[in-house]
Amino acid sequence: MTSTPWSRRLLAAAGIFGLVFLTVPLLIVIPMSFSPARALTFPPPGFSLRWYQALFGDPRWMEAMSTSTIVAVLSSVAALVLGSLAAYGLRRGSFAGRDWAEGNFMSPLIVPTIIVAIALYLSLAKVGLLGSFVGLVAAHTVLNVPLVMMVMGVAVRDFDLRIEQVAWSLGASWSYTVIKVMLPNLAPSVFAAWIFAFIGSFDEVIVTSFIAGKYETVPKKMFNELILEVNPTITAVATLLIAVTVLALAAVTLVLGRAGKLGQTLVER
Amino acid sequence: MNRSTGFAFIAPLLVLMVVAFNLPIIYMLGLAFWDKGRGFTLEHYEGLLEAPVYLRVLGNTLRISLIATIANVAIGYPLAHWMRGLGRRARLIAIALVVLPFWVSILVRTYAWIVVLGNGGLVNRSLQWLGLTDAPVQFLYNELGVTIGMANVLLPFLVLPLFAAMIRIDDRLLQAAASLGAPPRTIFWKVYFPLTLPALAAGTLLVFILCLGFYVTPAVLGGGRVPMISNLLDTLINQIPRWEQASAISTILLIVALVIFAGYRRLDRKASA
Repeated sequence: MTSTPWSRRLLAAAGIFGLVFLTVPLLIVIPMSFSPARALTFPPPGFSLRWYQALFGDPRWMEAMSTSTIVAVLSSVAALVLGSLAAYGLRRGSFAGRDWAEGNFMSPLIVPTIIVAIALYLSLAKVGLLGSFVGLVAAHTVLNVPLVMMVMGVAVRDFDLRIEQVAWSLGASWSYTVIKVMLPNLAPSVFAAWIFAFIGSFDEVIVTSFIAGKYETVPKKMFNELILEVNPTITAVATLLIAVTVLALAAVTLVLGRAGKLGQTLVER
Repeated sequence: MNRSTGFAFIAPLLVLMVVAFNLPIIYMLGLAFWDKGRGFTLEHYEGLLEAPVYLRVLGNTLRISLIATIANVAIGYPLAHWMRGLGRRARLIAIALVVLPFWVSILVRTYAWIVVLGNGGLVNRSLQWLGLTDAPVQFLYNELGVTIGMANVLLPFLVLPLFAAMIRIDDRLLQAAASLGAPPRTIFWKVYFPLTLPALAAGTLLVFILCLGFYVTPAVLGGGRVPMISNLLDTLINQIPRWEQASAISTILLIVALVIFAGYRRLDRKASA
């Protein structure tokens, strides 16, 4: 189609520009985090771990990290359990209002997050739970349910119903079937869904900024600092977040790749 | 499994969603249309029309969203099209480079632009080194910076579905057109482009919805000087508490987002059919 060499070259240039536009900002932040200078100049004038020392020596950042981790663990596990059960019920069951329920579960993905933040702020304030830990974890769970449902919905649909039926007909209870038959087969998808929900919670900033009250998470603290002044410690935080994301995605790729489900999970939405 | 057990599986999540998502949104809608003394009212909306600041922010939001969406299409379409023509290995690398930023924290991606676009940043130093400008170009804390940042953050939302649609186009269709004597330009515009159009339109709508509700990027790259709807809402909630007004604006934004999403769903079905 793009048969002339010129048009082909032009397309390649445009494509490479797009990839550079997407990735270069991330690639620049990493060396900047090792800069000894306070000013954000690129390339950095030397090498130092100054900003990492500043980060790990700051008890407020450390506390934000532990809060983020606890909230992410609790909410991602809750989203994983509730979302997987629901994905199973939606794929295998046929009850009135099924489409409505599925649409409702997916809607945090479509409703602008700022609106979820405001609705939660107003109603948590109304019931006196604004700034509460329960409210924060519940909000993160709701926001990450769609990610779990997307992955687990595909996984359950592709799992052969007859395998479950065989287990039942041999007298296995429902819980035995799930734990001994389904889980081992769906484990890669469960892992991927959990990782996605964990990242989703760990990076959540908008709702957290509105409703977390005295709780500081890493993104909330980062956001507040970015608005006030640009402190190079942020480059170290950013680099760590990029590293964690790369590792998590690599783990997902590895696990799903082995199960041969990678393409499916990436392309099907 | 019978009907009732199917429902039993979704019941726990349903309870959580109703309590922590549906009821809060209904409560917000209530605040937008309710007055303690008089019941149903449109008073909060009349207040919006009278204050010029609201209309200005709305205009800002629509303009920035539109430009960022157009920039997304201009960068994303050629990128997805180029990826389709790559070999297997190069294509996998390209997909990884699109997927990775998608999962990296939006704060990190926004922050990165402060580093790249700042006065001593990479772009300005390159421009000066090339002799294109004497003084640094002001990219940050204005609409230009906000638009660049938003286009960057949202690009994967357009590229991934578009690429998925392009991959599904059968090469034999294009070969058939070529064997019938159609020049490359005609094949592209008459065969290839129309086949990608539903996915392109769906992706464009998705990006536009996400733009309308953008909060982090305008707050950080706009430095408070480029207020969009979300930042106005932040002010109305956290700084000058005017909850009814905030609810009224949120309700409008919610309706607009849902209407655009309905359009997106139709196009997306067409694209994957």
